[in-house]
Amino acid sequence: MTPPTPAAALTADPALAVLDDPAELPRFTRFADLADGTRLADSALRLGGMHCAACADLIEQALAAVPGVRSVSVSAAGQRARVQWAPSQTSVAAIVAAIRRAGYDASPDAALAAREAWQQEGRRALWRLFVAAFCAMQVMMMATPSYVAHGDELAPDLRQLLNWGSWLLSLPVLAFSAGPFFAGAWRSLRQRRIGMDVPVALGIAVTFIASSGATFAPGGAFGHEVYFDSMTMFIAFLLGGRWLETRARHRVAQVLEAAVDSLPATALRLQDDERIEAVSVQRLRPGDRVRVPVGQAFPGDGVLLQGSTRADESLLTGESAAVAKACGAALVGGSVNTGAPVVMRLDRVGDDTRLAAIVALMRDAMSQRPDVARVADRWAAPFLWAVLLLAAGAGAVWAVVAPERAVWVVVSVLIVTCPCALSLAAPSAMLAAASALARRGVLLQRLDALAAWGRVRRVYLDKTGTVTDERLQPQTLQRLPALAVPAWAGWDDERLRALAVSLAAWSAHPLSQALQEWGAAGDGVVWRDVHEQAGAGVDARDEAGRQWRLGAAAFVAGAATAADGALGTDAAGPAVWLGCDGVALARIAFDETLRPDAVATVAALRAQGLEVVLLSGDRAERAERMGHRLGVDAVVAQATPERKLAEVVAAQAAGLAVVMVGDGINDAPVLARADVSVAMGQGALIARAQADATLASGRLADLVWMRDLSRRTMRVVRQNIGWAVGYNLACIPLALGGFLPPWAAGLGMASSSLLVIANAVRLAH
Amino acid sequence: MDILYLLIPLSAVLVLAILAVFGWALHRGQFDDLDREGLRILQAEAPAVDGDQVAARPAPEQ
Repeated sequence: MTPPTPAAALTADPALAVLDDPAELPRFTRFADLADGTRLADSALRLGGMHCAACADLIEQALAAVPGVRSVSVSAAGQRARVQWAPSQTSVAAIVAAIRRAGYDASPDAALAAREAWQQEGRRALWRLFVAAFCAMQVMMMATPSYVAHGDELAPDLRQLLNWGSWLLSLPVLAFSAGPFFAGAWRSLRQRRIGMDVPVALGIAVTFIASSGATFAPGGAFGHEVYFDSMTMFIAFLLGGRWLETRARHRVAQVLEAAVDSLPATALRLQDDERIEAVSVQRLRPGDRVRVPVGQAFPGDGVLLQGSTRADESLLTGESAAVAKACGAALVGGSVNTGAPVVMRLDRVGDDTRLAAIVALMRDAMSQRPDVARVADRWAAPFLWAVLLLAAGAGAVWAVVAPERAVWVVVSVLIVTCPCALSLAAPSAMLAAASALARRGVLLQRLDALAAWGRVRRVYLDKTGTVTDERLQPQTLQRLPALAVPAWAGWDDERLRALAVSLAAWSAHPLSQALQEWGAAGDGVVWRDVHEQAGAGVDARDEAGRQWRLGAAAFVAGAATAADGALGTDAAGPAVWLGCDGVALARIAFDETLRPDAVATVAALRAQGLEVVLLSGDRAERAERMGHRLGVDAVVAQATPERKLAEVVAAQAAGLAVVMVGDGINDAPVLARADVSVAMGQGALIARAQADATLASGRLADLVWMRDLSRRTMRVVRQNIGWAVGYNLACIPLALGGFLPPWAAGLGMASSSLLVIANAVRLAH
Repeated sequence: MDILYLLIPLSAVLVLAILAVFGWALHRGQFDDLDREGLRILQAEAPAVDGDQVAARPAPEQ
């Protein structure tokens, strides 16, 4: 949120007019046609600059003074405002201008619909819980006399009255609070399936019918016993458990919403005549040039055209330190410009951006059910049938042995068995792990990959684009025979290197730029007559008048230009030559840059007992050299995609589970075949990468961390399943034996689910 | 003890009434923004009241 400036408040801001763009308006405004034919708009705004609760009043007063505004409500806690206004009399621009005049800032609140939906759901769940708990409390008071009275202390008509009172107070719990259980049971019965709500709904119905029968026809078919206290109590416990579950789900939704929200609503587009026009981001097209002020997010993916800045790309990498962006650098939509105002060219907007791809990936992952969970779900139906049969059997047996306890036991059996803990065991842990990964910039597309990671014995690393990035790095300086003459006696490697670095500073060629990072330039070299021959090299004279050349072999050896045009590549790889007066003196060889954490990652993976194999399409010698630098177990060089695939298939045939780490595009068939596939997320390729996981951060070290996390996840899944099975095995005999009153059964069921979720949430931290 | 025959039904009805009133207040949004309510007294434009707690007519603007 940018603080409002007085200047902006005084002049009518053209950027505000964008808010009334018909493409923009529906994102945060709803329209309603009133009975008298007028139209009323209802807009949601996010407020900035609020620092205390009293600010809310000031904003409300400022808005109430705008003609056409019908009602305003400002939430101080949420820093949001709802404004109802008449489109015929005013506009959003006028409303936002009024807020700015009051000294605050406002922006459209586009995520309104989603947030409102889950807020309403959460509020309703809480209200159901409150009604159930409050009534249960009162019913318990009414039930107390019959627990404490001995023999004839409680007159029968008074007992009857207390039962009626309990029945009356149970009605709202049954009709309102328990609604979701009945609705869920009805839905699954209509689909001819048995769901988790069926035993619960059955338990509630049985208790209520039996207790009502005992209340209104005492001594009839249902005996004397009433269970209103147990019923209301376990409904309250179950609802409490569900409410906490809903909250956990909404936290995931909030993470998504925050990601969707990171695109700005408006952008400043440069027109062909360099005039600036404010437009809605919905109207941006690829190729547009936009100005991005400091503090605003880039409206789409593109390239920095003017200026240099820093960008906060924490949305991709989880790294909050800003990344320096020079002119020409790629910018990611949704990341925030933190350095200086710049101009960018948009290459991809809207649904094509990396941000949209990430959000879609996250949505997909969140809606998946992993294999482990599907197994649990398959067992749920037979389990539920068994529970129903057990409850019926127990009811029949107890009706003979001790009829007054039969209903009580049946209800306990129905309530205490909890397949929900079982079916939550795996997905809750895996989702928690996926959201922890997403925060680190690792996007998980297939939750099952977490289970597979733990089994992996061999890691295949692709070379180019995976362990290396695109840049080249000077590796060695090789002295040529011409240096052997006495005239060059004092020239050691260091002096040649410094000279080459200082000469390279005059060239814009990528190899020269890579050379500049090799070390400090020698001081005292004053170059004269510097010329750069495109595609050949640099040419300059030093103080002594000697003509030095840095570039392609032929150019350095005295040719006017490099005829072959290929600057500095020979059979052994990319290189440049340094020469003086037409004699080549030294050759500087380049190699691909290893990612900074590549060596450490390979070492860490090997320390964990994994075999690391480098797969490369490159020539054997270079691949071997790279393998040696990395410290891998084996190198497969000159590997075509078919050869890579054969390698992975052979390893799998030998019984090894493998991880393939590639750039996601060229390796697609190999990635698809591997047990776990990881793609390096570079540029826009994220969206096309068909991998189980994508390292949007570009950090190889996340592989090691991901392995740790998946092992911990599977441990939590095993704990959860063990707990859920153990709980049911322990509680069903207790309930069958009549040792577990229904309220304790409700408490047990709710807490078994909560324990599973709490255990899973540990992974997210 | 006979009074119980009146008090028990009364308390049951009262509980339901309390629940209804609270639900009405909650759904009207009265608890949505508790931070602001304490500051309402400091609001300049709150309608003034006279000694009998009767809202005075707002003074015409100068």
